[in-house]
Amino acid sequence: MIKHILVVDDSPIARRMLIKSLNALGSYEITEARDGQEGIEKFKTASPDVTFLDLTMPVLDGYEALIKIKEINTKAIVIVVTADIQPKSIGTVMGNGAFSVIKKPAPLETVKNILEKAENKLKDMQG
Amino acid sequence: MIYEQIFHMVNVGIVILDVDLKVVKWNKWMEIHSNISCDIIAGKSIFDFYPNLDTKWFNRSCKSVFSFGNTAFLTHKLYKTIFPFKPVSSFVTIFDNMCQDCIVGPLRNEDKTIEYLYLMVSDVTKMASYEKKLLDMGSKDGLTNIYNRKYFETKLEEEIERSNRYKNKFSLIIFDIDFFKKVNDKYGHLAGDYILKTFAKIVSKLLRSSDIFARYGGEEFCCILPETPNELAVIIAERIRKEIEKTLFEYKKDTKIRITVSQGVSTINKNITTKTDIINLADKALYKAKSRGRNQVVTAQTYL
Amino acid sequence: MNTDKNEIFTQDQKDVLQEIMNIAFGNATAELSEIIDIYVVLSVPDIKTINSENLDLYVNNLIDLKKNTKIIEQKFFGEYNGAGLLIFPDINNDEIVTLLDYSDTDSIDYLEQVPVNEILIEIGNILIGACIGKITDLLDTYVTYSPPDIFSSDTSNKFCFSCNTDKDKTGLVMKTTFTFNGKNIEGLLLLLASNDSFDWLKKALDKFMESYL
Repeated sequence: MIKHILVVDDSPIARRMLIKSLNALGSYEITEARDGQEGIEKFKTASPDVTFLDLTMPVLDGYEALIKIKEINTKAIVIVVTADIQPKSIGTVMGNGAFSVIKKPAPLETVKNILEKAENKLKDMQG
Repeated sequence: MIYEQIFHMVNVGIVILDVDLKVVKWNKWMEIHSNISCDIIAGKSIFDFYPNLDTKWFNRSCKSVFSFGNTAFLTHKLYKTIFPFKPVSSFVTIFDNMCQDCIVGPLRNEDKTIEYLYLMVSDVTKMASYEKKLLDMGSKDGLTNIYNRKYFETKLEEEIERSNRYKNKFSLIIFDIDFFKKVNDKYGHLAGDYILKTFAKIVSKLLRSSDIFARYGGEEFCCILPETPNELAVIIAERIRKEIEKTLFEYKKDTKIRITVSQGVSTINKNITTKTDIINLADKALYKAKSRGRNQVVTAQTYL
Repeated sequence: MNTDKNEIFTQDQKDVLQEIMNIAFGNATAELSEIIDIYVVLSVPDIKTINSENLDLYVNNLIDLKKNTKIIEQKFFGEYNGAGLLIFPDINNDEIVTLLDYSDTDSIDYLEQVPVNEILIEIGNILIGACIGKITDLLDTYVTYSPPDIFSSDTSNKFCFSCNTDKDKTGLVMKTTFTFNGKNIEGLLLLLASNDSFDWLKKALDKFMESYL
């Protein structure tokens, strides 16, 4: 069961957009982070079940943050949320262990589908 | 009904294409200039009839219009042939084909999605011919019709910049017709003009298309020889010297004139950074050629 | 975000606009790489409102008059209207001609030289069109474009947005730098929205917020 979700994005609006969808889909405990560095710290303290990660951020970008998060926990489920969905960028993050990539702005339906997939993955890992 | 009439009456070509770039509409203007009726071309790929359009630029323009809804402006300055039609005017004869500007833009359906794109083709042959005339006026010498000094200096600067970056060699020849003042005094200025024009014509024929040959002023000419080492420039200069020496300039039936030419050659090296440097070097060589008795080629290399 | 005098946009509207720019530029980058075969890197946009006279100063300061700077301007019209400016400082012609592929095009011969200006115009048209197109998609509108125009810093032309608008009016500037991957070319992209479209823009931003928040 997904209980705790971490949302890492420098844009307050982007976080609000995603959190609105998450709240509409279930009652999750949600932690927010404003850049990659803060994302890593919150990941360590909160140990979320699923992390939504933006790519272009100040201090530490999503590419770097993803690598660090996977170093902390190789099984971490990280969903990359980005507007830049060219094959090269997708290839890089998938190669670095992202669970999936979704395009910004993500409609409710997309968030729902990806959460279901993450839920199944979590069950597999736990079961 | 009225719009349909306007669609066929406007003095521009209008083509509507679908996402597969198949023709949906083809107006009267297009029918007239292409000799292809709308019935024949409708439903078929534009490339079936105009394979020359199936290029990267055309495809990326169409793709960007479908993706971004922007408008692509294809100008005759970049694309020689859009639709290869005959020029309309019987007076503008410098182009084999009609020069065209073409606008490619999106056409949306009710829910704002882009379903088709339009091409608007206008005939700009007359404008292009003025443009060519203007360009020629700015870059060519009125008497000899070879490049003028201004154009030569711009090109020389570019060549030096390129050479600084890519370290490729180029050479410069400065020509001075020997005793030209005497020709003018003896035969008159019209004869002098004839000599200058004919000299320019003969030298042009002995140069390559990449060489930039210009009238520097009076009876002085110069030429940039890109990608040419000093030895080769001297060979070319020597060839020109011999050709001029043996030519009999026939100004009139009873007025046949002989002339000779002195030339100074210089080649780019690491000490040359400005156009003045390389011109001065060639000038010094030219002065040597004059003082050693004229009708000869001297290269700056020999006394460096 | 800096503002002159009065606040025109609310903090929420500014945040939404910033995010819309982020999304639009990201989408534009992805699609551009498919269309022109080059990966364009766009920086995070910097947004500010500025009155039109100061806007002229601001833009003219960005244009390096000493160098061989080329500026491409394209106006767009619709509910959202304004201009896109692409500034290429210190152009290197040899590099520019490698940007877009014209290898299979029967290109012009009467100019007897590579028409660098025309290539810059095509790049400007695609880049401005991509960014504006994605922004207008997100704001549920569309615009039409004027043909792009090119200016050189060595001619005496100065940028004068206020010449065509009222001096006391405010413009919205979205500034981003761009580079092309693997090429030694960088420049500035400015998207200017004119005062006339502010009422519409505020409504469109609120609508966007409602649909997602």
